[in-house]
Amino acid sequence: MSEMNRQAAPLLKIEGGSFAYKGGPQILKDINIEVDPGEILAVLGPNGSGKTTMLRCMMDMLHWQSGRSLLDGEDIRGIPASTLWKKMAYVPQAGTAATSYTAFQTVLIGRSSRIGAFSSPTEEDMKVTERVMERLGISHLADKPCHAISGGELQMVLIARAMAAEPKFLVLDEPESNLDFKNQLIVLDTMTALAAEGVACVFNTHYPSHALQRAGKSLMLSKEGWSLFGDTTGVVTEDNIRRAFGVEALIGEVETPQNIMKNVVAVGISEEAFAQEPGAADRSVLASLTVIMQNNAHADQINKALREYNHLLIGRMGLPHRSSDKYIINVMLEGPVSEIEALSHRLSLIPDISVKTTYE
Amino acid sequence: MSQRRDGRLGAVWIVILIVLPLAAAVIALGIGRMSIAPGEVLDVLRANLSGGHAANELAEKTIMQLRLPRIILAVLVGAGLSVSGCAFQSLFANPLATPDTLGVASGAAFGAALGILLGFNLIGIQIMGLAMGGAAVALTWLAGSGRDRGGLSYIVLSGIMIGSLFSALISFIKFAADAESQLPAITYWLMGGLDKANYHTLALGAPVIIAGIILFILIRWRMNLLPLSDDEAKASGVDIRLLRAVTVVAATAITASCVSMCGQVGWVGLLIPHMCRMVFGNNHLSIVPASVSFGAVFMIIVDTMARSISAAEIPVSILTAIIGAPVFIILMRRSGGWRI
Repeated sequence: MSEMNRQAAPLLKIEGGSFAYKGGPQILKDINIEVDPGEILAVLGPNGSGKTTMLRCMMDMLHWQSGRSLLDGEDIRGIPASTLWKKMAYVPQAGTAATSYTAFQTVLIGRSSRIGAFSSPTEEDMKVTERVMERLGISHLADKPCHAISGGELQMVLIARAMAAEPKFLVLDEPESNLDFKNQLIVLDTMTALAAEGVACVFNTHYPSHALQRAGKSLMLSKEGWSLFGDTTGVVTEDNIRRAFGVEALIGEVETPQNIMKNVVAVGISEEAFAQEPGAADRSVLASLTVIMQNNAHADQINKALREYNHLLIGRMGLPHRSSDKYIINVMLEGPVSEIEALSHRLSLIPDISVKTTYE
Repeated sequence: MSQRRDGRLGAVWIVILIVLPLAAAVIALGIGRMSIAPGEVLDVLRANLSGGHAANELAEKTIMQLRLPRIILAVLVGAGLSVSGCAFQSLFANPLATPDTLGVASGAAFGAALGILLGFNLIGIQIMGLAMGGAAVALTWLAGSGRDRGGLSYIVLSGIMIGSLFSALISFIKFAADAESQLPAITYWLMGGLDKANYHTLALGAPVIIAGIILFILIRWRMNLLPLSDDEAKASGVDIRLLRAVTVVAATAITASCVSMCGQVGWVGLLIPHMCRMVFGNNHLSIVPASVSFGAVFMIIVDTMARSISAAEIPVSILTAIIGAPVFIILMRRSGGWRI
């Protein structure tokens, strides 16, 4: 649905990726995804559906049996490791990470691809490290050994290590697993903020709610080998959750003063097989969408999203609020519910704005 | 603080790490049955370095012919074994790893024992040691490599197996050896001692050890990637397989050279790196140079004691354990431990 103004090659693309472990079943079949700069892609699926395998294949840590990953239009297998890992960075699950160094030294390791075999970190490397740690709010941890900090802090250190490589593309393996509420929010907010700066993020998650609240696009994997890729609102649906997870789930909306946040509640284990095709009947409605921006830092992103969904727009009104630095945008829309939802969702992922949609 | 934030050593520590082994060497050169003051030791060294001769001929001969090769060997063995131990502990992310983890020391000791059994001279024994040490590592690598996942733990297990295989072969050689002449020589040799030091064996063994130590010092920052998990290491953008291979080759070459010159010297490769980790943390920018320096100092002290405590030489492995174990325990309790 958003295929209109695609000029350049996407930052990352997987074409027909398939994979099976030696002697095992085909766990990944014909995966096709595209991620653009500043986008967040959530990878969802039940245990054993190959989420981590998919990330490892995508990064060429495992090799696709057929298909390929392209970074900036170039086959990843053909890019030398030192070049590749300046553009792409990986945040492993905190449980599998080495923890023998101080936080500062761990983050500094993220600079490895820029430091020669016989060299030591330069002042520049140190400065980048300090800047990244400050940016992520973990400067106070710098001299603590990584085995003496909390799980949430370690996850932030690992994200900082990845960011120290100054990548355009960030891959995170279950970054918010095993964290408490607050730390989950810190990690997810960090990811949203990085995306707003133009970094593309792909993350694995066990939480469909996190996909709905953070990711513009989602890839849903199933144990049977099928997968779905597209805008999150079209992928993370009650039907698809039932099909992939075997769980009856309800997607509800929680209204905050700023936004309407989607939330997935599992209500029971599904007994019946999937009955309905995904994305069936989609009625056309009228809707009014209101956006309040705390500042105009992300105005470009809002305009870009509105341009992409131009065909839905039947009216638009923008008002700067004189006494404060805030902006109010109101758009009238007409079109299929799914597309209006997708636009509203897309806008809600931009930081520092409030979005609400009223349907007829 | 003793270190900078990136783990680099401060200037004070650099001076200490350079001066300490030199001072220990000069003092040790003066200790022995004939006591020579450090000032006179320096005179002799200065005279010989400039191509001339010192006034005291006896002191000169004692220092240059008897003690100097031995102390050079002590420096090389101490520095080499501790830096290899340090590299292996990081490579296998295992605090119990030692230079012998891949079976190299057992292999080299077997080669040397075989050399003694066959009646070779010192150089022949040394060559046999080097060859068998290399063979043991090659066997370990063949047995343990292959599968990508968990590859390193397979290799450690294979190393233990190959090590015990060669230990059994050593026992067999002892069993086959002549109980009057060869068995004591083999047994004594296996206990380790630097009394065999001379410039000829050094000429064969020293270049390998020195090259290995220099290599580790040069790649010390990159060695920080060794304990990382496979995926993390790959994501660093560095060729981790090459780094691991270089580490294994350098550490085993150093160890085989050490063992082939002075027998099995236990403990140094475990003790010194851990002491350095307790003091400096795990960053290789500091623990590699520290291991080299403290390893050399430790070995000079132990060897000086071995040759001067009693009229008869005390095997050096006995002393490394007797001195090392208590010092290690005291340090461990004081520093509150460490981890890799």
